[in-house]
Parts: sequence; C-alpha cells; structure tokens
Amino acid sequence: MSSVFRPKFYINVPMLLRVVGWLLMILAAFMLFPTIAGLLTGDKGVMGFVWSLLITLGAGFGMMSIRPKSREMGKREAILLVSLTWEILALFGMLPFLFCDTHTNVTDAFFETMSGFTTTGMSALNTLHGVPDSIILWRCVTQWIGGMGIILFTLAVLPMLNYQGGMQMFNAEVTGITHDKLRPRVSNTAKSLWLIYIILTGCLTVLLLFSGMKFFDAVCYGLSIMSTGGFAVADQSVLDLGSIYVKIVVTVFMFLGGVNFSLMYAAVTGHPRRALRNEPLKWYVWWILIGYALFCLNVLLRNIGHSVGDFTLDPLFQAVSVISSTGITEPDFHNWGSLSEMVLIMMMMTGACAGSTSGGAKIDRFIVLFKFLRNEFYKMMHPSAVTTVCINGKGTSYLVVQKVLAFLFVYIFVIIGCGILLVIMGLPLKTAFFYGLSAISNAGIGTEINGISWQFSALPAAGKWLLTFVMLVGRLELFTVMLLFVPSFWRK
Amino acid sequence: MKIVIAGAGEVGTHLAKLLSNEEQDIILLDSNQERLDIIDANYNLMTFNGSTSSFEALRSIGVGSADLYIAVTPYETRNITSCAIAKKLGAGKTVARIDNSEFLRKENGLILRELGVDALIYPENLAAIEINTALSHNWARYWGELHDGALILIGVKPSPSFPLFGVKIKDLPIKNHDFHIAAIKRKTETIIPNGNDEIRENDIVYFITTPPFVSEVRELSCKKKRNIKKVLIMGGSRIAARFMRQYADKYHIKVIDVSRPRCEELAENFPDCEIVCGDGRDIEVLRDNNIYQYDAFMALTDSSETNILSCLTAKEFGVPKTIADVENLQFVSSAESLNIGTTINKKLLASSRIFKILLDADEHNSKFLALADAEVAEIPVKPGAKITRAPVKDLHLPYGMTLAALVRGDHCELISGMSKIEAGDYVVVFCLSGTIHKIEKWFS
Repeated sequence: MSSVFRPKFYINVPMLLRVVGWLLMILAAFMLFPTIAGLLTGDKGVMGFVWSLLITLGAGFGMMSIRPKSREMGKREAILLVSLTWEILALFGMLPFLFCDTHTNVTDAFFETMSGFTTTGMSALNTLHGVPDSIILWRCVTQWIGGMGIILFTLAVLPMLNYQGGMQMFNAEVTGITHDKLRPRVSNTAKSLWLIYIILTGCLTVLLLFSGMKFFDAVCYGLSIMSTGGFAVADQSVLDLGSIYVKIVVTVFMFLGGVNFSLMYAAVTGHPRRALRNEPLKWYVWWILIGYALFCLNVLLRNIGHSVGDFTLDPLFQAVSVISSTGITEPDFHNWGSLSEMVLIMMMMTGACAGSTSGGAKIDRFIVLFKFLRNEFYKMMHPSAVTTVCINGKGTSYLVVQKVLAFLFVYIFVIIGCGILLVIMGLPLKTAFFYGLSAISNAGIGTEINGISWQFSALPAAGKWLLTFVMLVGRLELFTVMLLFVPSFWRK
Repeated sequence: MKIVIAGAGEVGTHLAKLLSNEEQDIILLDSNQERLDIIDANYNLMTFNGSTSSFEALRSIGVGSADLYIAVTPYETRNITSCAIAKKLGAGKTVARIDNSEFLRKENGLILRELGVDALIYPENLAAIEINTALSHNWARYWGELHDGALILIGVKPSPSFPLFGVKIKDLPIKNHDFHIAAIKRKTETIIPNGNDEIRENDIVYFITTPPFVSEVRELSCKKKRNIKKVLIMGGSRIAARFMRQYADKYHIKVIDVSRPRCEELAENFPDCEIVCGDGRDIEVLRDNNIYQYDAFMALTDSSETNILSCLTAKEFGVPKTIADVENLQFVSSAESLNIGTTINKKLLASSRIFKILLDADEHNSKFLALADAEVAEIPVKPGAKITRAPVKDLHLPYGMTLAALVRGDHCELISGMSKIEAGDYVVVFCLSGTIHKIEKWFS
C-alpha cells in the first residue's frame, strides 16, 4: 500500500542516516553519566567528555535533521543499520578515550570501545592506574548499553522504529534461534526487557554496596557484571576487592545474566512454571554443575586445594563466570591445569541461554545439535523412523535445525579463520586460537591462563582490528554482519 | 487495546496488519507455524502457534485480558466454539466469522449471545450487499454511506465531457458547490487534494455530498443512471450464492460455472435463477448466453486474474456495468485503472466492518470506511481540541488529509474554509492509510 512513494536510491540512505542520528543522540545521553560524575568529583577527564558529548550531539543532530523522502525501511536497511550502528557507536564511543589522558591511539581506543559494547571485556589498556575515573565509568557504561543492546533500547523509546524495519532490527540484535516477543508490540517487549535489566542492575549495585564497597566501584561493577562484560575498575579484579559475600553476589548475578530475559519476565509476571520447565535453562544449570565438578576434580588432582573455598565457591564462580561470558578469572587459575583450560574453552564455546546478555554460540543451539545428532544415529538403526527435534515439548522444524547447523559451522569457521590470521601476524598458535574463541564468544578472558605474557595491548594493530571485527560478529550472532560481505546483499 | 485474532487466513492476516499499523496490541493465533513466521518477522505483532479452540492456547496468550476477540478461520463452527471459549475465559467482546445467514436472524442472535458470541461478520453477505449497492448506484465506482446515509461518499470516473477538468480546486465556484472533493485517485496514487490540485482525465474522483445533491454530482460528471434488471454472474462462488439468496427476486440472474456438481447444487437451491454449466473464459460460451443483452456482468470466481480479464471481455461486448471480485489487494488499484467499474474485496469489507465493531468497544476510536489506500474516518471533536481554535482555512492542517463534512447534532454540513469546528461535532476526515493517528491529535 505504500506504493505511493518509492525510494530513489536502492538503499534508503537518508532514512538510515536519520535513524543513526537518533541513535547518536541516545549515545550522547548515556555519555552524560560519566560527564556528570566527572563534574561532581572534579575528575581530570571531564573536559574530554564534554568535547565528546558535544561532537556526538552535533553529529547526531546533523543527521537527524535530514528529511528523507521516504520512510520505508526494508530488510536490507535493517540489517545494514544494525551492523552499521554498532560500528558508528563504537566510533563515537571511543572519543573520550582519545580526548582524555589515556595514552591510547585510535586502534586501542576503538578496540576498547568495541570490546565494551560487545560485552567482551578485553582491554587494550596496559594498566588502569592513572586512568581518569570518568573513563573507567564510561567503559562500564558501554558494556551495560551493549549487554541488552542499544537498538533494543531505541525500539523501547522511539516510536519511529515501530514498523516493519524495526521488527527486522529486533530480530537482528536479540540473540537466539527464535525471538520470543513478550508482548504484542515490539516497543513494549523492548521496554519489558530493559526494565528487567535495569532492575537487576540496581539490585546488584545495592547488594555490592552492602559489602562496604565504594559507591563508584559498586556502580561500575553493577554495570559491567550485569551485562556479563567483566571490565574491571582497577588493576586487580573484583575478587581481590571483597569478601566471600561479594563473590556470592557476583556469582548469582552472573548466573542471572546468562538466563533468558524473557523467561525472567515470564517468571515475574506470574508464569514461574514456564521458567522452571524451560529446557535450555535446565541444560544451563547442568552444564554449570558439570563444569564445577570438572574444575573440582582438577583442583583435587593437582593438589592445590587448601581451603573449603577452593572446592566450593571458587570453581563455581569460575564456571559461572566463563559460561556467562563475563570472563573474570580466578587469580590462581594458571595453576588449575590443562583439563581446566579445556573445560574453560568448552564453556566459552557453548555460552549461556539465548536471549540473555551472555555471548558464545548459546546453549540452545547445542541442544538442537545434540538432539539432531541423536535422531540421526537413531535413524541409522531405524531408517524409516520419522523424528523431530523436540525442545520444550514442541517440535522444531527442519528449517530451524538447518539454520542452527549452519550457524555452528560458521562459528567454528570464524574461530579458525581468526586464529590463522593471528598466527600469520606472529602470535603463538595456542594464543591465537584462544583469542579467536575469546573474542567471538564475547568472553574476553585474558591470557594469563596461557602462561604467556602477551597482553591485548601488545597485539599488533592489525590483530586488534581483526579481534574488534570478530567481537562484533560474535555479538550480532554472525549472519547479520557477515551478510554484508555477501555480494548478493548489494545486488539488485 | 489488546486484540486477539484467531485464524491467520486472508481476512485474519489483513486485519492483523491493519490493526497493528493502527497501534493496537495484536496477538495472532493459528496452528500453521509457517504462515505465522512470515507475519511475525515483518509486522509489529505477536503470533502464537495453537489451535483456535484450545483452552490451553487461549489461556497462555492471556485471552482474559483481551478487549476484542476476533475468530476468522474459514470454519464457522470452529469460530463460534473459539469465541465461546474466549468469552468464558474473560475476553471483552467476541466476533465470529460465519458462513450461514441463519445466524444473522434476530431470534438466533440471542442464542449466540448466550453462547458468548457478541458480533458476527459474514464477508460473503457484506459482499452481496456491496454488489447490490453498486448495481443500484451503477453510475458510481464507489458508493459509501456515512452517518446512516446523511452523508454520501461517491467515487466516480467522470466522462470526457466533465466540465471541471484542469480547474484547480480552489477556483471551483464556491456558491453553487454542494459537494466536496475528498480524494482523487490517479493511476496507483491516491491524492488527498489541496487547493492547488486539479482533476485530470482518467482520474477517479471521490465526492462527498448530502443526499439531495447526489443527482447534481451525477449530472456534473455526465453519467447516466441505468436501471439494471438482467445480471450475468460468472463463477458460482459463495458470494454469488449469497447474492442469489438475497436478491433473486430483485434481479434476473444467470450463473455460469465450470463445475457440474456445483451447478447442480446451485440449481437445486435457487430454482428462480438460470444456471449454466460452462467455462466463462470461453467467448463462445458468453456469446451463446447472449451476453449483449445483460445490464451487468459480475465475475466472482476464486481467481482475481480471471475476474479482471473476464470483466474486460464483458466490457468489449458492451455490458454497461461490470463488477469483479478481486481478492489480491495489490490487484485492486490496477483493476480500477483498467476501467472495470466496481471491484469487490471481502477483506476490505470485513475489515471496515470490524472497525465499526471496534468503535462500539472503544468510544475513543474513530469510524472507518476503508478504501484501498485511503481511509475515511469520522472523528469526534473533544473540548479544547486544536482543531476548534480557528476557522479551517487558518488552521494550517497537515498535507494528506482533508476535512470533508461535519455532523452537528442531527444536522450534516460540508466543510468549507470558513467553517469553524466546535467541540462535540463529528468530523468526517479523508486521509491516506496509516496517517490517522497523526490526525487524531488535532481532535483531542
């Protein structure tokens, strides 16, 4: 029915720019937090923030004032918009790093910002010592925005995107195989998801405050842990700051960060049964327990357990931290042995439930894979059997299974490709592949576990750009970004 | 407003899209996942895979909090069961699509209400009534009545001798001007005209007027009134059967259908009508049935393409009035530009009927007549609304809407630049599809 207007361009560029302008305005609004914090505390980085804020606002306002002839946004525009948005936001988000006194070049600043937005938590900064507090807060804010997704936030607050294009964007940014809508209108769904996210973050911050943590640290950790990003506030990790209490609180919230947010919504809106019966959630819990058991076994074998905590909380914390892709490691993890490293790699690979803020290939996909394989083996014995992959008591169509298999294949392919390129750049073999996996699964686990002194800051510039790209590919679940490199996307 | 639509068939899907664009909360329920997937990925609504008559499915979509429940699967018994369950689970108003005129009778309506069905839609019946309207006002392309017939909307394609071609709308003589040009349809584009637009040849012009001046509009557009008696129908579809049931005594009807069993069935049910078994696409068959003698030709087969082309053939034979059932929405505007006369679309008819039901459920909503890509809304004016501040010409109203008429009390009048709108009036507004929510803020 909208045949009245036809876009002049093949891709509706003016409309795209206009939406990006809106998104920049929202980014500028988020930049206000560190700016205000800086102004209140008289932080030395505050001028840098004021400048970044002004530039972002200016660019956003400039783009917003474009008046597109047609407001039509199709599939192509939506896909382009989602991946462009993340890059453009990282571009503007890195301004504070450049303006403030952090001794970073463009590569490092972009790497740091993208690592934040994708909730990876890899850091290109050698040390946080001497870095302005407002920058530390900004890193955590970027993770928090990226955790639930800025486009989802935009869908919640801007009625403009509530049309066909907006639906595509919702599908492109929310993780998982299928996308449950919680409520009939996508803006309401987005609002509900963000509301849960905000409430959880608030709870975490308050609970951290109870431990006697400084207000600033509590807020920063609240933001970075709820988004399962894991940026630290100081050079030592969160574990060194506090007590067993802090560790328990952090473990619980990392766990929640890996749970499907729509399940949490169902649970709090009076359908707790739906959450309890959810199959991916059960697998998630079991997988954590298995990981915990294997870690314990390893601690036992290597005879490094000295206290109760070494067998109870520490391995559990480690398992949850990895599976939720938060990526905080125990200080003495390098002593845990190679079985632990293997478990770490496997857990990083699977990730937590779809529809959560965690990374990885998502446990839901592995369930589909395993059930499909089981069916295939069964069919070898009973060739005429008709089987379906059943999840949550409902059959899944073969189209979905195909998509999942393709996804997992591409996932492995990207890790291998990234590893090979990093090896060519001169990284040791193991490190190269480990980085690839760490980046695509948005875990961002540091390299100390490899026993090698490589820091992310010591990577060659090309390696950093490569990892930046892989992080984005991982956050947007492969296809949205990779589609841009398929010629048929651009062809008429 | 939360609206549950059960059945993602043609009518259900169309309604879901339409209502979703009107910013309603839509949940679409169907048991065909593939069909749902397409809609789910592209429209701002929620879909749910489940049977329309399953307690569990209805409970899990929260039908208890729904304001309106619309069951539009192709099976009337299923719709009625579904509505009954939904009502008992707490749904506000229930609407069922039916396929049997018995349900429409007053004495049966009560029984249905007890079962939990509040309103009925019978698309075939709506189509039959629409056809009859088109035949009675055969000089017009479109005939719609607003406010119980106090205002009439006429879509007409003026003859080449129409005196107003090329005249700008602002230059029309104001004095003897008892109609309002509400919309112009030019090729595939619908224009809501402002003073600088003009009428060109081959446009379809939508006039809004009051009953005494209908004949003036007809004379102005140089159209002749014709008394239609003999009607040839191609395709013995459900619409055709409904039309025969309703109007067999008013018209002399002949039906041509390909299927012999269907012909036999029709012949048993409608002894007053002539039934011929043959392929209406075959010119010989049309000739044999003396197509020249008929006043009207209606193509009501299931295929929109066949209907459009057959109507063109009938036009070549000199049949003055042709009506085509065009179910593919994208064909409607092409069909109209092909000079077919009137097109019938069950989906549009059903959706405008649902809009009327919506009005009863929600007083703040407006009343609609849905055209292919424009809407006619009757909007109540609230006290203190922006639109009451100045005479219409000083309001700087947005492009894409026109105020056609206002209803004050029992009295209807056309709006000119000098009119001043008051709170409590009902204003008839023409606008392009999907812009109604922008306009509503002027009235509240």
